[in-house]
Amino acid sequence: MSENKNNLVDQVLIKLKNWARINSPWAIHFNSGSCNGCDIEILATLTPRFDVERFGIKLQGSPRHADVLICTGPVTLQARDRLIRVYEQMPEPKFVIAVGSCALSGGVFDGCYNVIGDLNKVIPVDVYVPGCPPRPEAIIYGVVQLLEALKSGKPKEPITVTEPVPEVVLEEEI
Amino acid sequence: MNLSLHPLILLLLFPGGLFLLNIGMIYEWADRKLVARYQNRQGPRWFQPLADTIKLLAKEEIVPKGVHKGLFFALPIIALTGALTAGLYVPLFGFEPAFSFQGDLVVTLYLLSMMTLCMGLAGANTVSRFSLVGATRALTQMFSYEAPFLLALLGPAIAAGTWNIGEINNFAGQNLWMIIAQPIGFVVAVVGLMGKLELPPFDAPEAETEIVAGALTEYSGRGFALFRIGKDVELVIGLTLVVVFYLGGISNPIWFIVKSAGLLLVVAALQSMFARLKIDQTVGLWWRLGALMALLQLVAIILGRYLGALIR
Repeated sequence: MSENKNNLVDQVLIKLKNWARINSPWAIHFNSGSCNGCDIEILATLTPRFDVERFGIKLQGSPRHADVLICTGPVTLQARDRLIRVYEQMPEPKFVIAVGSCALSGGVFDGCYNVIGDLNKVIPVDVYVPGCPPRPEAIIYGVVQLLEALKSGKPKEPITVTEPVPEVVLEEEI
Repeated sequence: MNLSLHPLILLLLFPGGLFLLNIGMIYEWADRKLVARYQNRQGPRWFQPLADTIKLLAKEEIVPKGVHKGLFFALPIIALTGALTAGLYVPLFGFEPAFSFQGDLVVTLYLLSMMTLCMGLAGANTVSRFSLVGATRALTQMFSYEAPFLLALLGPAIAAGTWNIGEINNFAGQNLWMIIAQPIGFVVAVVGLMGKLELPPFDAPEAETEIVAGALTEYSGRGFALFRIGKDVELVIGLTLVVVFYLGGISNPIWFIVKSAGLLLVVAALQSMFARLKIDQTVGLWWRLGALMALLQLVAIILGRYLGALIR
């Protein structure tokens, strides 16, 4: 009897937490080497015209306060450490949205000497938003997809991010 | 006249304690919604602050390296306690304050500044440079608005001849609204309240475009949630104080809601009208203008009382 009750309380608590998480996704924006096109679209998404505060989405300055990391651009060698650091500074549960073609596949920068490639090579990504740059509607749609996935209760597997990334060795001049 | 309830109910359930937390969240929502409407947006849904708080409480709390652990966990609790304790001396909803004695005005003001002090300590406790800058700014701002705010609240206290908030409430209910008798004091008090709550023209201590999130940069999860609730509670108590002193007192819950909502409308309009001031501009504004104006008001009141007594 008491176990059942405990289970019920647990279930209610889990439902409550899930509801709160779905209704208040706070975002942080990180540019890991983008050309700024996607960043301007993200800023346009946050303007009063689209008014994402009605979904509870709020841009936060500190990674410690954020739930969703909105990431743009391919990962450059310079940005890699910073990206990992920002990702690890976010408290669990955390989600990543990759915005733009470059974050999906490296885009036009794929194969450049100073670029590692797409975002998934460095940190685990939950949602991809394609486009070069994607429209604000597309970005909002991506966030909604993430929230829908949360609502269906798909558990998120913990993934360690500090695994060694293949080093890109520059050919030294002789 | 004032309504009265059993002290324990006052303390734990109805105007204090649980109810105060919830009413704080409702006022936060009203504030955000009003600012959104002023900016021609839809604004957040009514349960937004509740969802934010539950989410933050359920999140992982990271303890950064190099902090004093006891302080790190204790400071949010002390800040919230200070704000909630201040609620005991204030006639929330027109009910008699749970506790009152001669001079509880000073105690209430000290309890309200506990929040800022705790945020300053919280910022200085971590090794992050952003929270350190935020802490310095928060404390600097506190030293600039605290004196004019106190002076502005002293005006009605001197006019009423008592430093007891409950008695001032009665006095204000029976006389002309103080906003008509002391307009300068009202302006200083409202702007001082905005400085106290770090609302937009005075949000340099948490300027997210410059110093990440100010003193609370390193706080995540529970601590951050407690600081946020504490600030909401402080918003309610601050509004109540200004309403009691300048807008004719509170005699019943309906008057409380009407008057404090009207004041919130003004505060939200001021928030969306002005851009953020730099910290040196804030200090300059308060000490060069605010303190002088409040002093002028005080001198006028004291002279008025003397002259009135002489003529009589």
